Formats: sequence, C-alpha cells, structure tokens
Amino acid sequence: MHEIFEHTADLGLRATAPTLELLMADAARGLFEIIAGDLAQIRPRPDHTERFEVAGTDPTWLLFDWMSELHAAFELRRMLFCGFDVSIDAAGLHATAHGEPYDPARHTLAHEIKALTQHELCVVEAAGGWNATLIIDI
Amino acid sequence: MTDTIRDTPSDRGFAGPLEPVDECLWRIPKSSRPGMLVDGLIFADERLIPQLRSDRAAEQVANVAFLPGIQTASLAMPDIHWGYGFCIGGVCATDPAVGGVVSPGGVGYDINCGVRLMRTNLSLADIEPVLVRLVNQLLQDVPVGVGQGGRHVFSPAELRMLMQEGVPFLKARGLATDDDVALAEAEGCIADARPEFVSDRALARGSDQCGTVGAGNHFIEVQVVDRIEDPAAASAFGLHAGQICVLIHSGSRGLGYQVCDDSLRALRDAPAKYGMSLPDRQLVCAPVESPEGQHYLGGMRAAANYAFCNRQLLMWQVREVFARVLEKPWHSLGMELLYDVAHNIAKLERHQVGDTSKDVCVHRKGATRAFPAGHHDIPNRYRAVGQPVIIPGDMGRASWVLRGGPRSMERSFGTTCHGAGRCLSRTAATKAARGRNIQEELLRGGVVARCRSREGLAEEQPQAYKDVDIVVDVVHRAGLSLKVARLRPLGVIKG
Repeated sequence: MHEIFEHTADLGLRATAPTLELLMADAARGLFEIIAGDLAQIRPRPDHTERFEVAGTDPTWLLFDWMSELHAAFELRRMLFCGFDVSIDAAGLHATAHGEPYDPARHTLAHEIKALTQHELCVVEAAGGWNATLIIDI
Repeated sequence: MTDTIRDTPSDRGFAGPLEPVDECLWRIPKSSRPGMLVDGLIFADERLIPQLRSDRAAEQVANVAFLPGIQTASLAMPDIHWGYGFCIGGVCATDPAVGGVVSPGGVGYDINCGVRLMRTNLSLADIEPVLVRLVNQLLQDVPVGVGQGGRHVFSPAELRMLMQEGVPFLKARGLATDDDVALAEAEGCIADARPEFVSDRALARGSDQCGTVGAGNHFIEVQVVDRIEDPAAASAFGLHAGQICVLIHSGSRGLGYQVCDDSLRALRDAPAKYGMSLPDRQLVCAPVESPEGQHYLGGMRAAANYAFCNRQLLMWQVREVFARVLEKPWHSLGMELLYDVAHNIAKLERHQVGDTSKDVCVHRKGATRAFPAGHHDIPNRYRAVGQPVIIPGDMGRASWVLRGGPRSMERSFGTTCHGAGRCLSRTAATKAARGRNIQEELLRGGVVARCRSREGLAEEQPQAYKDVDIVVDVVHRAGLSLKVARLRPLGVIKG
C-alpha cells in the first residue's frame, strides 16, 4: 500500500510492500495517482504496453531511477500507466507498464510533477517487507 | 484519489534552538550541531515563529550550514517553509576561492522560477466591465495547466540559441521590445550559459513549453494598485493608485526541471570524490571551480535564460489577449514591463564579507535579489531608488512591489523574500477545502479565478499561505527591501 504524506510545498509518497518488486509496482501506482488522481480513468491498451529496464543494484537508486523513467514517459510521451509487473535481478529492474496515452477528452489530471527529489529519499528493508519514501516537487 | 492514498501529518516540527538576535532576526547557533560551519540566521518576527516551529524548514537552514565554503551564515527569509535540501526562502553564499560549492538543491528544480510585473495605463473602471471576459479569454488563449503545450515550438537548434541569447533572441523575432530586454534582471540573458550541457531529454521537455504557465503555484494575475507606500519610488516605477497591472509567475518548465535532475544524477558521486559529508542527499554539490560545478552552472544559466524567455512569451500572449478583449493595440494600453526578477538562481556576485570584497556564489532558493539604490546591476531608470522587487502573495489578498533596501548587502547578500510562503501543506489545504467552493469564495472577495484542475484552487487557496503583509513588514523593518506599493488581485488563471 502507499500513502501521500504532508509536505509543506510538495507531496510525500510512502509505500510499503512485502517484496521489493511489489514495492516498486506500488510506488509507481502512487506516482500516477499524483499525476492523474483516480487510476480507474486509465484504460490499459495492449498496443501501449511499455517495457522498462533500469540498471542498478542499490534499492534506493533503483526506485528513484525507475520512477524517473515513468515520470519521463508522461512528460515526453504523455503516457498514463495504471498497472505494473516488476521483476528484479542482479542486473536491475525489469518492468512492463500497462496504460494508455493521455486524452484530454477523457482524462483529468491532478498535478504537474516538476521532479522527484532526493530529499529523504530511501528504500529500506523492515520486518516483513520493504518501505520507501520519496518527496515529489509539485 | 483512490482509497489507497490517505493523509498523514508531517513527521515533526523544529525543536532546536532559536535565539532572538533582534526583533526581526533569529539565530540557530553553529554550536547546536556538530558539522555546522556557520550560524543559521532566519529573518522573522514573533508572529511567524509558531509557523517556523511547525515544519522542518529551520532544520534545513542548519543543514545548509554544513556546505563547504559557506560565508557568514546560512540565511532564510520570513516566507521560509519546508523544501527539499534547502528550505524555501533559503540564501547561501559560498566562496569559490576556498573550495566553496555550488549545489543544484540551492536553486531548485525550477531554475529561474521568477516573476514579472507589467503595468498598464488602464484603471479599475476600464477593467471591471470586461473582467470576466478577460480572465476567460486568458484561460482560453494562454497555455496553463498540466499537459498544456504552447503555440511556440522550438527545434533543438533554436532552443540552444534561445538559451544562449535569452530574451534578445525573441526580440530578433519580433516577440519582445527594447524595454522588455532592458528591464529584465540581467537584461534577460545570463552570461556564460552553456546550452551544449543541456541534455536531449531536457530539450524534448522544453520544445513546446516556452510560453506556458505550468501548474502548482504558477499563475497569471490581473491586479490593481490599491495603496502607494513610497510615492517617489512608485513614480520611478511608473505606478499609481488605481492602476491595473499584470503579474506573471512561472519558471523554466520541464527543461529546467530536467537540467536540475540531470545535474543531481551527475553529482551523485561528487561528495565522496571531494571528501564531503552532507546531512541530506538533496544537498549534493561540487566545488564551484570543479568540472562538475562548472558543468552545472553552465546548464543552469542556459535554463535560466529559457525561463526569462518563457515569461516574455507569456507576457506577449497576455498583451495579445488584452488587445483582443479591449479592441485596442496593446501599445496604446501602456502594457510595459516594469521588471522581471528570478527567485530560484545561483549567481556569482561581488559582496563584502567581513573586511574583504570578494566574488561569491549566491544561491537564492525562493528568495529574491534586492540590490539597493546605486547598484550598477540595476537598470538606469530605477538606479536612484533601488531594484524593483516583486512579491506575489496569494490569490485572495495582496502582492507587493518593494525596492532593494539599504541593509540588504550587509545582512543578506543583497536578498529579500520571494512571496508569502506556504503555511498549509497541499494535503491539509485540500482537506480544508472539502465542502467549500473556493472559486465562489474568491468571487465574493472580488477575485475572478479560473483553474484548469480541481486540485489547483484547493491547494492554492489563500488560507494555504502566510499573510504576505506580515512577511513584507519583516523584510521592510529589517531593511532588506522597502515597501513601494500594495496590489490587490482582480482576476487569476492557474493550472
């Protein structure tokens, strides 16, 4: 699960999951909830499924770089995603993202994300799972 | 939002030491935390202290005091609030000659986020009958909000020229006047920009965003001058009571955000390489004189010039809308730039530090340059009174025009506040807006507000901000910048 926590000027995203893979998928859903509000308005289209490969081993940077790629997919290609299949191995993160391009006639957007910040950025393994914290510049 | 998102309170406030220095200044002594190289100094008065204690901005002021080469103090303005790395409202000067650093976090993602004020020869009586139509037309014709591209699209080659030349690039294309260049900070072009350091991804994000407002706290506002505090300075700035003005707040859009993001990525290993221990990852930095520092500064200046051009194209589009609605050429409406000034920037400037005059790298993150009368970087026509300083408040109450104050150079590296400063988080503001119609509330207060997103008006409602009159009162009493005119909002468009 994930939650938005208070930050005076921006938005904080905190996610918890039993595995690192589920954590990455859940944080990604949180990112698109911040951009688009309700994910139910996104109808995944098979022709717009995208693959992402993110190299690295440090879980914190892996999260940051993965989220940065998703943010870039919205900024550069106007892609809205709502579902994620994530696997992680020694090379890094491999993911499939399901979604569709932004359509002003059907989608409402909630926030313009300027950037994902590194302030208090962390991914830690805790009892029974993983926690992530990310502050997002709005 | 789905039910997987819920609100939780911010983790904690600031419980550390805050010692009064005078009625407008508070100190976090460097002895309070091992590693601080200088004191933290926060401009505020008693009215602002409860807010200052409520979030973690003051802790960030102390964190900045760890930066190598920092001079005098880690400073913060009275609109201070919790940011990332640096607080918003933070000022830090470093000395390159002693290994002083430049930190992208000291500028922020929105490089050269700033404001420009345009005056007109219109009065309230001229505008009131057409105000609703004018605001609706602004919303329709000026790109604002998430996902809104602009009508000015630039190729990568054109963008590189634009970032090298700044507003003169637009003037050569008939999109700026001589005064539009002369009356912007740095004449709309910061020297030594290195557009070749700007990545392809940044260029792609910036290709259709020059001339777009964006979202968040950015806006275009039609205002009326409701009070003159300093008639001589107001006259020099071409302002009088009852006059209509337009305030534009935006920055370097996706291009600038990407330049910052790319720089932070490139600097990941810099602290280890240069043997620095930093209390926050977002404070990552490199010596000004290092290859990494020079790379950041070159790209940052290029993005800053893009931001000047963004606000210029926004102003140009506002002129066109006024001309259409009022059915007169904009020249005949007296729509002239008063000034354009950055509030997210790092600049090499000459300052007196102790007994020595030296070049320092001044970071202003949510803080505005405020050079006093006589400074050579002020346009000739304003030099006798001081640099115009434009302080946006909130969309329900007021904004201010100030002038650089007599004590800004000695107290704050020629700097003052940049706005009212938030006092409610976005989540708290949204919660406070439930069951209310913010647009109607603003209209009852005489403000026609139009916003592209549901969240925009709720998160940016006036109650989310401190009272700008109090913030301005502090910088006035501290001598950082002096009151010239108060402006009241009439109409606003937001993302």
